Amino acid sequence: MRWAGSSSTPSLKGVKLVRTFGDGTTRRAALQVVDIDLFPGQLALLMGPSGSGKSTLLAVLSGLLQPDSGQVLADDDGTLRDVWALTDKEREQYRRKHAGFIFQGYNLFPALTARQQLEIVLKWGEGAGPAAAKTRADEMLDKLGLAKNRHKKPAQLSGGEKQRVAIGRALVKNPSFMFADEPTSALDWENGQKVIELLRDAAHQRGASVLCVSHDHRLLPFVDVYYHLDDGRLERRALPSE
Amino acid sequence: MSYALQTLWHERARYASGVLAVTFSAVLIALQCGLMLGLFKITSIPIDNTTADIWVGSTAVPSVDLGKPIPMSYLSRVQGTPGVTSVEPYIANFANFTRASGGTELCFLLAGQIDHGSAGAAVPLSREQLDALTLPNSIIVDESDLKRLGLDGGEGKAKINGKDVKLVGTVKGLKSLAAPWVFCSLHTARHLLGFLLPPDHVTYLLARCESPARAKEVVAELKERHAGDMGAYTAEEFSTGSRLYWLLRTKAGIAIGYAALLGLVVGSVITAQTLYSATAANAKEFAILLALGIPRWRISLMVLMQSFWVGIVGIVLSYPACLALKAAARQVGADVDLRWEVLAGTAVVTVGMALVSGLFALRSVRQIEPMTLLR
Ligand SMILES: Nc1ncnc2c1ncn2[C@@H]1O[C@H](COP(=O)(O)OP(=O)(O)OP(=O)(O)O)[C@@H](O)[C@H]1O
Ligand SMILES: [Mg+2]
Repeated sequence: MRWAGSSSTPSLKGVKLVRTFGDGTTRRAALQVVDIDLFPGQLALLMGPSGSGKSTLLAVLSGLLQPDSGQVLADDDGTLRDVWALTDKEREQYRRKHAGFIFQGYNLFPALTARQQLEIVLKWGEGAGPAAAKTRADEMLDKLGLAKNRHKKPAQLSGGEKQRVAIGRALVKNPSFMFADEPTSALDWENGQKVIELLRDAAHQRGASVLCVSHDHRLLPFVDVYYHLDDGRLERRALPSE
Repeated sequence: MSYALQTLWHERARYASGVLAVTFSAVLIALQCGLMLGLFKITSIPIDNTTADIWVGSTAVPSVDLGKPIPMSYLSRVQGTPGVTSVEPYIANFANFTRASGGTELCFLLAGQIDHGSAGAAVPLSREQLDALTLPNSIIVDESDLKRLGLDGGEGKAKINGKDVKLVGTVKGLKSLAAPWVFCSLHTARHLLGFLLPPDHVTYLLARCESPARAKEVVAELKERHAGDMGAYTAEEFSTGSRLYWLLRTKAGIAIGYAALLGLVVGSVITAQTLYSATAANAKEFAILLALGIPRWRISLMVLMQSFWVGIVGIVLSYPACLALKAAARQVGADVDLRWEVLAGTAVVTVGMALVSGLFALRSVRQIEPMTLLR
């Protein structure tokens, strides 16, 4: 089942994004005038050599790192808003409502069970009540094939299971955007494949715009669009299937 | 169970030093206060070992050893107050004690009616000892003062204010701090004090009442009616007053304050350090929450909750430690008074300390940056 609204209008637009680091002789442009459109229901893969600016672009688009110039326009319930024109508080609220994140490290609280890792996002983020948080957390864990692992703490989970819990934590609030930075690079291929499939499901079944940064070419068959970044310049490339 | 408490338990090895620091501070403070209170109980021994409900004396007596003589005629004032069942004279005065072998000490004469069951008869004195005190110039002292007064050998003879006295018995547990207590009859006391106590004067009038509640009312009435020339105190307030007076007078309170402050400073530094590093260790997990748009104050609250639980657990552990040390102190003859006010005060102060440490540890929350998650 393919999400109906895919490829209509972009839900996230990067417009002429520039970001440099350092100054003087150490000055270095991580992003040199990047334009990018992300669509709902679409899984986009961003590849490129190390140091090419992939993480920088992901941070700018997700509202974590301010660009030197350019705009990030995001769909907020029907209107496009410039994320970097918002106040810090508004941007935080925007991320709370719309943004999910996954990173290479799972970053799960060692003391908490799988269910609690998800509940904390609902309780602290949306002010969800204990019963609602529990139900939604369990539903999400079931969908990720983690039903048996609800009460396990990170130390009792395998790497793949931990990354799936982390995906659950990002998805449980049903975000419109999903940002993943090297989500598979710490996993073997079998688990990596599961992760990219889950990200694809998030796009195709839930209608999220998913941006995944990776340097693993084996992910290509799973994605809808493929961008290549080199020395801060972005280029859309054809998928092997196209 | 809260996330904070769950984290505390899961990472107990990490939090242990903070918890133990709280325990250490709490034990230090409670024992200091308890020891001082126990020590200063000595100053109210004359009150605590008699059975009067009300002490009447000169105006504004700060401590039982500082009462000035009052006329015996006040007796009728007290007796005439409804609710008072009995009144009797009591003499409490410093005197010079001269050992048989020479050398003098300051002592404190305590003389009440020596009929068995009278309000002024010191409770530890047996019927036989009270009878013995009817002999002129006979005295009784505490065992622990025998040596100091040169009464440990020989025939128990000595002089008080230049007049012969004879030891007729000893008691236990009525230790003195500075001047040894010397128990005798009113008659003996008058003889020994001579012109130091004006004729027809006593130091106190001890009254008994129908009930302790009535005693409070009687005291209030007496205070109001005779505010100018007579003081009236319930036994309880006079006892506490005497202890507090000497506690403050000797600046022992300052010693407690310093010890407590030192305990708090050491405790809070260690606790703050523990919480700081524990929070830093979870920085990446917290950073994810920030990236997901969860406000920073939520995380600060979690750290404060952790500091609160560190405080609570520390307090709980300190309780048995205090009791054990109290028992150990008793073995060496020191009384540690762990009344509930001491325990409650200690708990409030140390949990407060833990929370303040938590506030310091919030620095590490401010340093958390979601950008650090990207690579
Ligand atoms: N905080 C920073 N301060 C200075 N320079 C930075 C900072 N972050 C990134 N850079 C530089 O910006 C450039 C792009 O970095 P970025 O992390 O986006 O690369 P990347 O494509 O994600 O690389 P990798 O594949 O190794 O993760 C690099 O040259 C990097 O050194
Ligand atoms: Mg990177």
